[in-house]
Amino acid sequence: MSATSHKSEGKLEIDSNGPWSSAWKIAAAVGALGLAGVGAGFASDPKRLAFSYLFAFMAFLTLGIGTLFFVVIQHISAAHWSVGIRRTAEFFMGGIPALIVLFLPLFALMQHFPQWEHYGHASSHGATAQAGHGAQQAGHGEHGQQAGHGEQAGHGERPSLHELETRGLHNVHHQTLEKKKLWFDKTFFFIRQAIYLFVWGWLSWRFFKLSTGQDKSKDKKVTVAMARSAPWSIALLALTLTFASFDWLMALEPAWYSTIFGVTIFAGGLVAAMAALILTGLGLKKAGYIGDAVNIEHFHDMGKLMFGFNCFWAYVCFSQFFLIWYASIPEETVFYHARWNENPAWQPVTMSLAVLHFAIPFVFLMSRNVKRRMNLLALGAITLLVMHVVEYYWLVLPMFKAGAHGAQAAASHGAEAHHSLPVSWMDLVSLLAVGGVYLAMVFKLMTQHKLIPVSDPRLERSKHHSN
Amino acid sequence: MASHDHDHDNEKKSAGEKKPVLLLAEFDSTAKIFHAAEKVRDAGFTRWDVHTPFPIHGMDGAMGLPDSRLGWIVAAMALTGFCSALGMIYYMNVVDYPLIIGGKPPWSIPSVAPVAFELTILFSAFGAVFGMFGINRLPRHHHPIFFSQRFERATDDRFFVSIEVDDPKYDEKKTRKLLEDAHATHIEVIEEEVV
Repeated sequence: MSATSHKSEGKLEIDSNGPWSSAWKIAAAVGALGLAGVGAGFASDPKRLAFSYLFAFMAFLTLGIGTLFFVVIQHISAAHWSVGIRRTAEFFMGGIPALIVLFLPLFALMQHFPQWEHYGHASSHGATAQAGHGAQQAGHGEHGQQAGHGEQAGHGERPSLHELETRGLHNVHHQTLEKKKLWFDKTFFFIRQAIYLFVWGWLSWRFFKLSTGQDKSKDKKVTVAMARSAPWSIALLALTLTFASFDWLMALEPAWYSTIFGVTIFAGGLVAAMAALILTGLGLKKAGYIGDAVNIEHFHDMGKLMFGFNCFWAYVCFSQFFLIWYASIPEETVFYHARWNENPAWQPVTMSLAVLHFAIPFVFLMSRNVKRRMNLLALGAITLLVMHVVEYYWLVLPMFKAGAHGAQAAASHGAEAHHSLPVSWMDLVSLLAVGGVYLAMVFKLMTQHKLIPVSDPRLERSKHHSN
Repeated sequence: MASHDHDHDNEKKSAGEKKPVLLLAEFDSTAKIFHAAEKVRDAGFTRWDVHTPFPIHGMDGAMGLPDSRLGWIVAAMALTGFCSALGMIYYMNVVDYPLIIGGKPPWSIPSVAPVAFELTILFSAFGAVFGMFGINRLPRHHHPIFFSQRFERATDDRFFVSIEVDDPKYDEKKTRKLLEDAHATHIEVIEEEVV
């Protein structure tokens, strides 16, 4: 029916001597190099490494979970348009077992994160709570209007405004930290982590196995089975990703919480996943693979999803910021305070998220013509991928306070010690390690399976999809 | 073929003379209308249309329609809405009646954002709806195509191509031949009174 004619079939398996056949080896070499760097970092400054590794790992984990989510929504909506590109998503999803292995070092590093500095040794939590937040509250008077939060209305000598503020804040912090004690019970924590890893590993393995198995068996019942698994898989993914982001990212500021935090993490991960799929799909096509199973119509639709979820990401991120900014309650503002006033070096990074992750890509990717021009679409995808990494740097690294182990350290370092970005070579090697190992598994899977789901009953319709 | 339009006999009282305005061809399948549209497109007609009971995938391409201009109207309206919101709040909260709310400065971007967002969406929606009306030249009280009784089946099970007599490529015989070759099941000329 469509006016455009579809001719080229394209190769459906990776050649044994093309660049894609050795891509996994290059990724593995980069990963090995990165892991060596991570080892060196662990030996020299394990605390700094812990933050670098968490940042790098979370950036790739959210991307991986994003591709898994993409696959699941295709099944839940019985989509035919996406059948060709779904296999590319399945490769990224199939690499999740590598991420599960890469998760394990976090357990060795977790003692360095603020939440475990606090809850790790329960006897001294009062002192550490003060240490963690003393630094943030040092020397700023713009929260003057919240002085009323301090419960100690002065008897005798009037305490200073700053003193009132600090005391009140610590009271609130203390209460919040007490309430969260059960959540950070170590046994409960480890049970949760086991559940996350099991859910991610099992879902990715199951959907990958079913889909690639269908290539040979040509069994249409597999399509039904995947559709039946999709609804509860989505529920499991939503819960595990939300709570994992609470455990590892939100808890970096132990007394802080935001109920929408998990949604921002999910939305950002999906944007990165769409960007990765677009770039990988274009790379495969450029090398003469997948033919018309993935054509301009599919890239256009992927661009729409990337654009749409990027708007959603901005929407939920702004919602989170807006409520906190408006209410201006100290125990809530700490998150943005750490990324703005407390260390002004973070201000350009915060602004770059608003401008380069949202405003510019929003205007740039809005037009149909841009999404249908592959070079421009690729430029948008690369920008969003880079900004995804920046977002995780921004989420994790402001919580790194060198040597802030006690109240005296926080006091002596004061404000001036934190006026630069804590950039380190460990950030780079961690990115290389996690990215290299993960992509090595993704690219290796590509060489072992068909590049599109050749026996999917909806494949033929997918090829004739048009916008 | 020999269809007589009795519909507008009643209106004869007001003015006398009639002239042909449309050539209406009826088809009985989506495949036929699709290929007919391609033929009419390739013959270089510009003032013509296709009427079907449901959307037919790829018909835009078969008719050779360019991308809709609606997006540009919506974009312009979106920008207008965005700027209106900024201007409105700036005037009200900074120039006309500065008011401190929640300890925020009179001009603070975050508090403007929701309003700017809402007005952008509102204006875009207006642009989309009314722009669509404008481009389609709606509302319209009268169109000669409704003189045809057969055309009522355009909302049921028949597919139509209508070509305006004003079209520069129009030639009664040649155009009729073109549509007959495209397997039209019925062709009629629709006339309208000269006002």
